[in-house]
Amino acid sequence: MKPDTHQPLLDSGFWRAVVVMAVISAVLMYIVVVYPIDRAFLPEASVVSIPIDNLFKFSMFFSVPILVYVNGFIIYFAFRYRRRPEEPIDAVGSPIHDHPALETTWTIVPSVLMIVLAVLSYFIIPMYYPTEQAAKSDVTMEAIGHKFYFEFRYPGLKQSVMNEMHLPIGVPVTLDITSYEETLDVKTGPVLHSFWVPEFRLKQDMIPGMVVPIHFTPREIGTFRIVCAEFCGLGHSHMWGKVVVESKTDFDKWYAGQQTQAAAPEAAKPISLAGGDASAGQTLFNAKCTACHNAAPFSQTKVGPGLADLFDDPQHPNLVTGKKATPANVADILEHGAHGSYGTMPNMHANGLTDKDVANLVAYLQTLHK
Amino acid sequence: MAVHAFTMSDLEYAEIRSHRLLGFLFFLISDCVIFGDFIFSYLYLRNAAPIWPPVGIERPYLYLAAVNSVVLFGSGATMHFAMEAFRHSNRTRFVGLLLATIVLGSLFLGGQAYEYTHLRDTWAGSTFGASFFTLTGMHGFHVFIGVIFLITVLIQTLRGTYSAHRYFGLTAATLYWHFVDVIWVALFFLFYIY
Amino acid sequence: MSVTNVGHPASSHIHPPPDTFIKKYVFSLDHKVIAVQYFITGGLFFVLAGLLAELMRVQLMGPNNHVLSISTYNQAYSVHGSAMVWLVIIPLLTGGFGNLVMPLQIGARDVAFPWLNMISFWLFPPAGILLFASFLYGAPQAGWTEYPPFSVQASFGTSMWCMAIFLIGVSATITGLNFLVTIVKMRAPGMTWTRTPLFVWATGVTAFLSMIATANLSAALAGLFIQREFGVPFYDVSRGGAPVLWQHVFWFYSHPAVYIMILPAFGIVSEVIPTFVRRPIFGYKAIAYSSATIGLLSFMVWAHHMFTSGLQHWEQFAFMVLTMLIAVPTGIKIFSWVASLWGGKIRLDSPLLFVFGFLSTFTFGGVTGILLASVPVDVHEHASYFVVAHLHYVLFGGSMFGIFAGIYYWWPKMTGRLLDERLGKWHFWSMFVAFNATFLPMHWIGLHGMPRRVATYDPIYTSTNEFVSISAFVLGLSMLLFAYNALRSAKNGEIAGPNPWGGRTLEWMIPSPAPYYNFKEIPIVLSGPYDYGKPLPYANVDQELATVPVH
Repeated sequence: MKPDTHQPLLDSGFWRAVVVMAVISAVLMYIVVVYPIDRAFLPEASVVSIPIDNLFKFSMFFSVPILVYVNGFIIYFAFRYRRRPEEPIDAVGSPIHDHPALETTWTIVPSVLMIVLAVLSYFIIPMYYPTEQAAKSDVTMEAIGHKFYFEFRYPGLKQSVMNEMHLPIGVPVTLDITSYEETLDVKTGPVLHSFWVPEFRLKQDMIPGMVVPIHFTPREIGTFRIVCAEFCGLGHSHMWGKVVVESKTDFDKWYAGQQTQAAAPEAAKPISLAGGDASAGQTLFNAKCTACHNAAPFSQTKVGPGLADLFDDPQHPNLVTGKKATPANVADILEHGAHGSYGTMPNMHANGLTDKDVANLVAYLQTLHK
Repeated sequence: MAVHAFTMSDLEYAEIRSHRLLGFLFFLISDCVIFGDFIFSYLYLRNAAPIWPPVGIERPYLYLAAVNSVVLFGSGATMHFAMEAFRHSNRTRFVGLLLATIVLGSLFLGGQAYEYTHLRDTWAGSTFGASFFTLTGMHGFHVFIGVIFLITVLIQTLRGTYSAHRYFGLTAATLYWHFVDVIWVALFFLFYIY
Repeated sequence: MSVTNVGHPASSHIHPPPDTFIKKYVFSLDHKVIAVQYFITGGLFFVLAGLLAELMRVQLMGPNNHVLSISTYNQAYSVHGSAMVWLVIIPLLTGGFGNLVMPLQIGARDVAFPWLNMISFWLFPPAGILLFASFLYGAPQAGWTEYPPFSVQASFGTSMWCMAIFLIGVSATITGLNFLVTIVKMRAPGMTWTRTPLFVWATGVTAFLSMIATANLSAALAGLFIQREFGVPFYDVSRGGAPVLWQHVFWFYSHPAVYIMILPAFGIVSEVIPTFVRRPIFGYKAIAYSSATIGLLSFMVWAHHMFTSGLQHWEQFAFMVLTMLIAVPTGIKIFSWVASLWGGKIRLDSPLLFVFGFLSTFTFGGVTGILLASVPVDVHEHASYFVVAHLHYVLFGGSMFGIFAGIYYWWPKMTGRLLDERLGKWHFWSMFVAFNATFLPMHWIGLHGMPRRVATYDPIYTSTNEFVSISAFVLGLSMLLFAYNALRSAKNGEIAGPNPWGGRTLEWMIPSPAPYYNFKEIPIVLSGPYDYGKPLPYANVDQELATVPVH
């Protein structure tokens, strides 16, 4: 029953294990440092994404030895100090209760690491919020969350842009972020959303009643994703958008195009439904519409009513707009959106639909029977 | 406990009493936390509002609440002196002061009811109403329970449940009553003065 | 050393045993029976909540699946999270292990208020039934956190959720109060604070948190309920309310809640290690005091769940610093536990294997927690699958592995029989491998851009989600090994005897299962419990009881 005191406290076996773990740690730490996040994992498409990734690497760098040594010592001690079969079943181990120097070390070192991490973080936080200086030179625009699409308001553009935000490369932007619905009643009004661009490493919740500005500068040309990152209802899983970062020339062309569209009178010509492809429409329906509609009779409501037999349902001859259920009137809803007690049916811009898509959808709906 | 308060030894009673006292104090602390949350909510909403009180909402009348507060604090005083009378084995004085406490507590509740019916704002009417009615309503509910508690204590006294040295129910009722007073100090300050 | 609590004349009374079936097994006042009731009920909800998780993973096998409708999927993850937190982990750790072990470890006959203990338990099944019944009225969809304004707009099931969680919250508050009075007032003569077992320390801090923090949950739920049902405008933006107010009040409870869910597991680890390594725990004082520190600090970090909710910069910074601070006492514990393996005589039995699983996975979860603590990094990682991975590493890897370690450890004390050791090892290894296979890849897709609470996803994440789903099915199946083991042991497991593991804390000094009065005479404690190699530090205890482990 006497504790085993023949061996020195920390013998060569122990130090060999320490060295092995140090080598493993060093290899992994090296990988952490050299790993090209931008090329191999996720583009660093905004200026602030680089210091954020570096901060992440810094944390990973010091986490690696912690993980290696904790797991490593568990494995090493479990083998080295297991009771051998020839030892008595009630053999006891070392009586050592504590070691003040060791305990002080493993208190101080993590504390120092935490302080360094906090200081580094402190300097990065202001990089994605507008300072007074930045506010003066930035282009300011708005990002507004709706159920279930993103609306962007540009300075100088009368009409909003839905779901697809275009930005010129290298131009710093202040984005005022909020959430809004036409009805403000608490039971049917705006909910939380979140504006997340993974490639920018930026996220800001869209909070009704609050406008929160963030600031960033795109640094890579490309098309990046906007993801809604705060549960907002049935459409949350499908609430996606795009950020298109392009050269100044391309951006100016796009912007001019938006201005022309805005100047043109609304619905000058109804969308042509000729040549609508029902099977293409079905694919589109399953991808975009099933968030809120079932391919089932009217009563199978999801968010909006079921759309089977849309054009020949004697119990529901009219659409939500009050107009008769004809292909042209359905196309009208797809083009301009609609409001109902259930929420908002987004317009074609919000849904990312082209004229052809509308024609295909209408064609499909004409074939959809229960 | 299977052993009745009267039949257990002094040492046993002291032990049971210390458990119950600590438990009761913990209960009062957790109750304070609930009030604390709604007080936080009130201060948060008040701080976030552009003007306070919200448009169209009047602050409730200070005068009525001040009189009502005197009534409540008075009942705290009568309770305090009642306890003193009990400890000095002055039973008549104790019962009289306990009755006074019950009456004053009920008067307070009456005063609150009067104020509620004469306020134009409603519980769901504004963030002021939300905070005011929730907090004073919770407090009023606690006063109501307190009055029931005191009536029970009165009945127990008349039945002779408490002895000169064993009267934990009475101690608990006193603590609870003072707790209700302390909460009211905070609410009175927050809604009528601040 | 001064001796406190010199004798508990009232609490040392042995009352007559309960005589009817109802008094013995239904409305029992015996903490050990109540513990079993908690284990059975919590175990049942673990199965239900686990099945919900498996359903979720079937839906997520591919993008745009229609196995579950979007609404059903949302309800599934919301009830899954709510049930796991409030109907499984908290009740099992506090009502289950706290009740079973703590009074025995302090040498008491029962808790301070046995009748309140019984009430605490009987609030639990109605709360659970109410939560699952919410499916009939449209269960909540906004996760276990139910942020307004959506939770104000949701169907009646959300009000049922408010009521259910309010009930279980009252239960937890009463249990916390009960346990704290018990630990402060009813420790055996001679059991000073530094001779108190570490599971009791953990349960004490947890009880304090349960008592103080849960009150906030009650307030938050009441606020949501009256907003929903009576239009009281706490969260109504159109009338001056604020959605972020809910987040503050909710998280002021829910952050201490995660410590309620891990501290008892820490306590279990601190008990299993000395027993299976047969040496004192390294750094007893550090572990004890760091538990208290963590308890206190847990009230100061709540807004690290809100870094993207429009907080002021100074608020973000303050909460970041406090969150990083809380990592230090946690790290101290982990290092102390690993150091406790050094120089031991280790028996690699199931309880210790689950402790190793805990140490490995919880440390990983702790590390990702530090990554999330830094505000700029959190801005990217918040509400992504990275957070889903982190929370499962600390709550499943931490709490559940800890719970299983405790089950394998105290099963003989509770039932008088041993669990099969080979099945236990199979259970551990399959659970450990399947757990990592399920949750490790989630870090990757989270960092890459997959948000949480979605019934479908960008097709680029398909292969990872397929792999995760299959691993999740294996993880679910691994639980069957435990179920089979438990049933077999209950039927004809090997008889355990009072002390099959050779432990030194007081629960091992009495027969298994313990008689209703626990100790024939209240023990007297002469020194700390973990000094293997020295004589047992108790007087009034049957020293004849074997302290030699069976295997």
